[in-house]
Amino acid sequence: MTVGVRRPFMIGRGGALQLEVQAALGFDLDQCLECGKCSGGCSTGAMFDYTPRKIVQLVKLGAEDTLLHMDALSICVGCGLCHDRCPAGIDVAAILDYFRGKARAQAIRLTRSDVELFNRLFLNRVRTHGRISELPLMVRFNIGSKRYFKDYGLGKKLLLKGKLRLIGPRVRDKASLRRLFEGSAAVTPLPRPAPATQLEAAPEAGKGE
Amino acid sequence: MRVAYYPGCSVHGMARDYGESIGLVCKRLSISLDEIEDWNCCGASAAHSIDHALAIGLGARNLALVERMGLGCVVTPCSGCFSRLTAAAYEFGRSDALDNEIEGRLAAPLPRDVEVLHLLQLMIDSVGLDRIAAEVARPLQGLRLAAYYGCLLTRPTQVTRFDDPEQPTSLDRLLRALGTETVDWSHKAECCGAGFAASETDIVLELGGQVLESARDAGAEAIVVACPLCQTNLDTRQQAMKNRSGKDFDLPVVYFTQLMGLAFGFSPKALGMRRLLVDPQSKLRAMGIR
Repeated sequence: MTVGVRRPFMIGRGGALQLEVQAALGFDLDQCLECGKCSGGCSTGAMFDYTPRKIVQLVKLGAEDTLLHMDALSICVGCGLCHDRCPAGIDVAAILDYFRGKARAQAIRLTRSDVELFNRLFLNRVRTHGRISELPLMVRFNIGSKRYFKDYGLGKKLLLKGKLRLIGPRVRDKASLRRLFEGSAAVTPLPRPAPATQLEAAPEAGKGE
Repeated sequence: MRVAYYPGCSVHGMARDYGESIGLVCKRLSISLDEIEDWNCCGASAAHSIDHALAIGLGARNLALVERMGLGCVVTPCSGCFSRLTAAAYEFGRSDALDNEIEGRLAAPLPRDVEVLHLLQLMIDSVGLDRIAAEVARPLQGLRLAAYYGCLLTRPTQVTRFDDPEQPTSLDRLLRALGTETVDWSHKAECCGAGFAASETDIVLELGGQVLESARDAGAEAIVVACPLCQTNLDTRQQAMKNRSGKDFDLPVVYFTQLMGLAFGFSPKALGMRRLLVDPQSKLRAMGIR
C-alpha cells in the first residue's frame, strides 16, 4: 500500500544515487517514513551490518561505497518481508539486488566469498546445462570453497534415500540458454582480490543505532 | 483439468518424493499435468541477486514454452520457482527497455498471457476443498500439524496474489479438510534460510531452528510444507541443529501432497515418505497407517 505522504523538507533533495536507484527500480525513496517496519520484520536483520531502514537512508545519503561493500549484500535472504510491510511501497530487497549487481559489474567482491562462489557455480551450471542437479553442484562448491568434506555425511544419507542423482537432466536447446546469458556478468569469475584493499570503512555513514 | 507443469529442478532431484506424491494425488483428482518440454531452471535466488534481466529472461523462456504448448496456465509445486515465474510475468509491460531486452534475448515476443499458479493455489482455487474432501477415504484424525508457508509463496502480495502475506490460511484449510488439526503458530510465513543451505549453512540453522522450535512449542507433531527448499532446509538440518545447540526437534517435515495422498488412501511408501530424513512412519503406524 502506498500512501501519498510527502516530507516537505526532503522533496527534490535526492542526490544522483537516489535518482539512479529510483529510475532503475521505480519507487520513490522520498516516501520513506523511517518507520522501521522493514528492519523489524527482516529475517536476517539481526545479522546485518546495515538494517533495511538504514540501507534506504544510505541511498538517500549517496553512500555508494558503503552500499557496495556492506555485509547485508551477502546475507539478505530475499524473503520479501521488508517490501510487504513497507507503507511506502519500497522494496529494500530490490535495492540490495541492484547494488549486488552493480558490485559484481565493478568486480567488487561480496564480504562472504562462499555466497559469491555458490551463486557463480549455480548460474554457470544453468548456463551450460539449463538445470541444477544437487550433487555435481555440491561437489564443485566443496572443491571451490576448499571445504572438501562439507555435508559429506548428509550427502551419504541422501544418496541412500535415493534423493541425489549422479547425472542431472539437461536442456537440449543450448543456444537459447546462451542467448539469455549474453552480456551478463553473473558467471564471469572475479579477478583475485588485491591484498589489503578490502572494506575500508565508509566515511560518509555512521554505524550503530 | 489440463495444465502445463513446471516441476523445477528439486522435484527431479532431492524432492523426488514430492514429485511421487504430486503424481498420485493429481491423477486421483483428474488433473493432467503436462510437463513443459525442455524447461530450464528458474535461476532461483542466484540469478535475481546479481542480474535482474537474466532472472526475468530465465522465467520468460519457460513461459514462452508454455505459450507454445497452447496452454494459458502453468503450475509449479516449488515456492522458489513460483516466485521467479510470477516475477517474470509481473515484469512484462512495466518497462519498455526491459521488455525489449528480454525479447531480444528470447528472440521471440514476450509470453504476456500465461498465468502462473502454485500447486497449492490450484488445489484451493481451481480444484476446491469440497472436491478434495470428497476424495478423503482415510481422515487423518488426531494429527496436529503446523502448516508452513515460508516466505515466497505469499510474498510480495502484488506479484503472487495468493492468500495473506503474513497470516495465510489456505494450507491450514486444506489440511483440516483432510481431517487433521492445525496449530496456531508464529512462524508460518517466516523464512527458513532459503538459498543459503550450502553457502551460509549457519543462517539456515538459525532461521530453520526458529521455525522448528516455534512449531514444536505450538504442539505440532509435524510440519507441512509446499516447497522443496523449505522441506530440505527443515528436514536435513535437524541433525546439525542437534549437534550444535543440543535441541532435538525430531519433527517430520512432510509435503502437503503426501498428506493428501495418505488421506486419499495411498501408502506412505508410494508417496515417497520413506525418503524423508526425520522418519514420520512410527507416528503413522501408531495411527494405523501403513
